Amino acid sequence: MTKQDSLAAERRRKTIMSVVLAAICIIYVLPVLSVVINSFKVNTFVKTDTFALPTGEMWAGFSNFIKGMTFGNYPFWKSVAFSALITVASTALILLFTSMAAWYIARVNSFSCKLIYYLCVFSMVVPFQMVMFTLSKTADSLHLNTPWTIPIVYLGFGAGLSIFMFVGFVKSIPLEIEEAASIDGCGPVRTYFSVVFPMLKPTMISVGILEIMWIWNDYLLPYLVLDINEYRTIPIHIQYLKGSYGTVDLGATMALILLSIIPVIIFYLICQKHIIKGVAAGAVKG
Amino acid sequence: MASVKLTNVQKVYDNHVIAVHDFNLDIKDKEFIVFVGPSGCGKSTTLRMVAGLEDISGGTVEIDGEVVNDLQPKDRGIAMVFQNYALYPHMSVYDNIAFSLRLQKVPEDVIFEKVTNAAEILGITDYLMRKPRALSGGQRQRVAIGRAMVRDSKVFLMDEPLSNLDAKLRNQMRAEIILLRQKLNTTFIYVTHDQTEAMTLGDRIVIMKDGFIQQVGTPTEVFEMPKNLFVAEFIGAPKMNIMRTELVKEGGKYYVTPFGSKIEVDGAKGQALAAKGYGSRSIDLGVRPEHIVLAKKGEGIPCTLEVNEMMGSELHLHVFTEDGTRLIVRVPTIGLEQDERENLVQGHRLFVTFEGKVMHFFDPESGENLLN
Repeated sequence: MTKQDSLAAERRRKTIMSVVLAAICIIYVLPVLSVVINSFKVNTFVKTDTFALPTGEMWAGFSNFIKGMTFGNYPFWKSVAFSALITVASTALILLFTSMAAWYIARVNSFSCKLIYYLCVFSMVVPFQMVMFTLSKTADSLHLNTPWTIPIVYLGFGAGLSIFMFVGFVKSIPLEIEEAASIDGCGPVRTYFSVVFPMLKPTMISVGILEIMWIWNDYLLPYLVLDINEYRTIPIHIQYLKGSYGTVDLGATMALILLSIIPVIIFYLICQKHIIKGVAAGAVKG
Repeated sequence: MASVKLTNVQKVYDNHVIAVHDFNLDIKDKEFIVFVGPSGCGKSTTLRMVAGLEDISGGTVEIDGEVVNDLQPKDRGIAMVFQNYALYPHMSVYDNIAFSLRLQKVPEDVIFEKVTNAAEILGITDYLMRKPRALSGGQRQRVAIGRAMVRDSKVFLMDEPLSNLDAKLRNQMRAEIILLRQKLNTTFIYVTHDQTEAMTLGDRIVIMKDGFIQQVGTPTEVFEMPKNLFVAEFIGAPKMNIMRTELVKEGGKYYVTPFGSKIEVDGAKGQALAAKGYGSRSIDLGVRPEHIVLAKKGEGIPCTLEVNEMMGSELHLHVFTEDGTRLIVRVPTIGLEQDERENLVQGHRLFVTFEGKVMHFFDPESGENLLN
């Protein structure tokens, strides 16, 4: 094969790969695109012309958004507030406690630490559906069924992944830095907060983003644990957009879905550089 | 400033590996002592036990007369410089140096004075607001030294502080450590695997192997009177040549017979051998490369040149004798004619010899110096 032939073959291969990857990309983006399109569409056209652009008589403007936010007797702002409270509190708890635990696990090379670490790793492969009923019972009996206490449940579920990521990163931090801190006069708590915690920043950001995206979008756990007449998160609020006889206003639903994903998308776009850095740091150096 | 005393200090790890055996050493106030030895000899472990970073399995460590076995590192009155600098990456140079003082709740104006003083001595004043990642290796090591300096500690511990630096910077920093020592005038314990560092820095050197002290002495003592074969080969670069040969006593005089030659042992060494009552026997003969000289053709020990290393002011000739023993000869280039130098190529036949006064005699079995 001549050099020209091989260059042509390489070009063909790249073109085919580009087409395939573009198709996969479209498949991924299509649902989000359909949410955006349909949120501006009159309800009756959502089912009939799902992928058509909202033009002419299909155009609903912002009426779907207003309808969604004012639907029923549960105020939308309350759902947003509960979602934000649960997300922020849970993420803060997860970051603080799991990073501390990971530091201990990474530095204390005992059997019990290894056992805890592998339990955490194992917890990542247990599907939520396997434990959800016993969990909701336990949460009820321990009074963890309010937006102020549900972060403890999230801490339990989020610990596996974040401990796994933090341990990988802590192992890449030279022990000498902590030894220098102990000679400088730090005890363990001071060493953690003054020396280790600031160094964990890249992993903190990536774990934080992953947890925020999960908790903000989570439907099943708050649905099972919270008293939904009193406390609704955004995904639960959306599920309750039903009219009489169970009819669902799809336009309003799409509008609220769009509203709920906008903060996460903005957050992700701002922090995506750190996600990749943090994940790579934990994986490669660990 | 303080003395340090280690008595029967032992380190046994959980897997029963003994890293340090019965380590006994008295370090005098303001003394600069260097622990030197190959990797895994226990020198860093011993230093870390003094620092409190490693549990002491047996024995006692005293600093200034106080047993510190159970004291936290921060309460031992020590400062330490690590091999990998161990700077806090999220803090500026200023904050790195000031960190320990802030923990001691020293007033900010005093901290400022101490930090700027240390920075001036170390030549890092311009970098005080930088983060460690924006500094070169040498600058980082200076910051680490500065961090230790401001603590006004009784003992200054340094764990291979120069091993991450390139050769040129290492030489420069070595000179700076000598100057720093003069300024601080405190007790130093310095760990290195580099015998040149040990020789140039230490008041006394502790040579270690497999967790045991091999010899403690001044640089001159360990160089001129190595206690055993290990010390003899470890101290000095290139290492001492060792030849298995016979010590022959004839008419009250001693001779050695390496590779068929016969060289008389000079008066003082001969007298020392006689005083110890040695007769004719098998020995390991040690001669440093700089004490072997090129001889005229047909005189001395015949050798074949294998490698000629040009070191600038001298040549390191790697030769092998007729029985295959390898020797290293240091030849000053200044004494060589141009044609002599050009002749020194691989395969060249040459003759070497040495004088009786530069010999070291070791027991072939125990490796101990016969004159110790």
